[in-house]
Amino acid sequence: MLFTDLINSLITDTTQSIPRFGVELCLSATIVLMLLMRLSGLDRLIPACLTATVGALVATFLAYKQFDALHAKDAVVTTHIFTGLLVHDSFTVFFRGFLALFLLLTVALTSLTGIPDEEDSPDFYSLLFGATIGMMLMASANNLLMLFIGVEMTSVPSYAMVGFLKGRKVSSEAALKYVVYGAGAAGVMLYGISLVGGVLGTTDMSLLSQRLAEAAAGGSGGLKDPEVRTVALGTMLVMVGLAFKLSLVPFHFWCPDAFEGASAEVAGFLSVASKAGAFGLLVRFCLALSGAKGTESLMISFGLGLGFIACITTTFGNLAAYTQTNLKRLLAYSTIAHAGYMVMAVAALLVLKNSPQAATLTENINQSIEGLLYYLVVYLFMNLGAFAVIAIARNYTFSEEVDSFKGLISQSPTLCIVMLICMFSLVGMPPFGGFVGKLFIFASAFKAGEVHGFMYVVVAFGALNTVFSLVYYIRVLRTMFLEARPADARPVPVRLVSWESAFVVTLAVFVLLLGVLPHMMSQTANDAAQAIAQLPNP
Amino acid sequence: MAAGLNAYLLVGAVLFVCGVICMATKRNGIGVLMGVELVLNGANVNFVAFSRYTDLGLDGQIFSLFVIVLAAAEAAVALAIALNFYNNHLTIDVDRANKLKG
Repeated sequence: MLFTDLINSLITDTTQSIPRFGVELCLSATIVLMLLMRLSGLDRLIPACLTATVGALVATFLAYKQFDALHAKDAVVTTHIFTGLLVHDSFTVFFRGFLALFLLLTVALTSLTGIPDEEDSPDFYSLLFGATIGMMLMASANNLLMLFIGVEMTSVPSYAMVGFLKGRKVSSEAALKYVVYGAGAAGVMLYGISLVGGVLGTTDMSLLSQRLAEAAAGGSGGLKDPEVRTVALGTMLVMVGLAFKLSLVPFHFWCPDAFEGASAEVAGFLSVASKAGAFGLLVRFCLALSGAKGTESLMISFGLGLGFIACITTTFGNLAAYTQTNLKRLLAYSTIAHAGYMVMAVAALLVLKNSPQAATLTENINQSIEGLLYYLVVYLFMNLGAFAVIAIARNYTFSEEVDSFKGLISQSPTLCIVMLICMFSLVGMPPFGGFVGKLFIFASAFKAGEVHGFMYVVVAFGALNTVFSLVYYIRVLRTMFLEARPADARPVPVRLVSWESAFVVTLAVFVLLLGVLPHMMSQTANDAAQAIAQLPNP
Repeated sequence: MAAGLNAYLLVGAVLFVCGVICMATKRNGIGVLMGVELVLNGANVNFVAFSRYTDLGLDGQIFSLFVIVLAAAEAAVALAIALNFYNNHLTIDVDRANKLKG
């Protein structure tokens, strides 16, 4: 190819890609703007949280427009952008919109509670925006290189955000633990990528299953084939990195420490957003490897392995949450348990997708992804709601212990009611959103039970854990509602008409709406699921 | 006689294992981070070797260039966090990070 041809094709490709990359570019521009404004002293006139809010608003709007544009066409549209490094489809745009909205809510929460002070807020928001861009890259990755860059781009700002409260001992300890474990997991993951990419001879994720089928065709196809074996080993190492991001057992130990040391706002952000990005990536990576001829049974056992890990993770998370006295730590264990529920959907997806009858199960394959996406959306509102209540109450009581919430109902009923809604939804009680999300996931896992009986066990574990989890959520609610407020406790005077109340009530309303009117969101989630699940098998 | 792919992969694997052992046994925070660097470079050796001997091609070399840059970024943040830990605890021993548990 001539040099001029190369340049021309690159120019065409880039000009076509940039409009589809608008959301990320908008966030990047906001970062640059915030840093430049401090350089010129403009941030004294316009506070950084305002710039951040506007940036996040524009990004959410752009993502909404993109989704609308994709939605208008009947056919599933998948475009590879930036010479195939990223993929632009409804799934990508769904995650972009989800993350942009969550970023907007987090910025709103931080400006309400004032956790980064005036001086530090440009730094804090730059880290927050940078991490969000990384998550968006994770959800749209179509190349192993982008997979790794996305994970790193999410992790590195997260380490810094956890240690953002500089003078505090626990905060620095949490950040050190997070960075040491996180860097180790990223290194192991990279080694896995080098094995997968090297043996299959490509880093393009859309070619992986085709190359895997070719590799399997030469030998016996199972684990006896050295190439397949190396790829399986590499995949397991990649899964270590992803499991770390998702805080699955046995790679969960950073999560409670990081959450307890970080401020409640940052913990809320990490618990939802970095999980969401990692789930987007997990689904893409699993689908990229599945469907290869000759490795179906291997991939089904991979799915069952994920199901097994999901069972252990939910059980561990729920049992460990019992004895916690710090609310952030309790919610960290609840986050671990919820990651387990969501992995059940991915396990069901893998089992269904690689079953011999996969062609007749397309509807169910869609439903498993739809369930995951729906759960993520509900989880956004309910978990952020719970963390927001903690953050707001902390500003008055200077404590995040369960005991500091004793009898809070007498002083700020709004916070207590919102906490009630969020926690019942986290348990999975009707009519709240968490119930519908769990229903979708268990239904698809149940369907996968027809392919392999072990999935029934997974569903049983999920249902059992729902009952377990009731106990510790109820304990918190009992402390808030039924116990008397100690006389020496600091008052929490959050009035019904205030910005804080408006914020948490909005979140609670969405939790309720998602429970009562599930089709509002499930159709959107289904469109996104279709875009990714229906790629042809090689 | 030129060394084949397997020789390079062996070097990569040895680096990886050394790195993992270093991460698991070192009690000094900086030592753990050095273990991470070994793991990353083990993967880099793999990438470059694969790009020479398989149809991975230039992708492998580009990948390792990106990894070098990312490792530097990660090390910068990690060292800042280690320094912050030292300022608060007057030690860099990861075993002394024991306030948070349960």
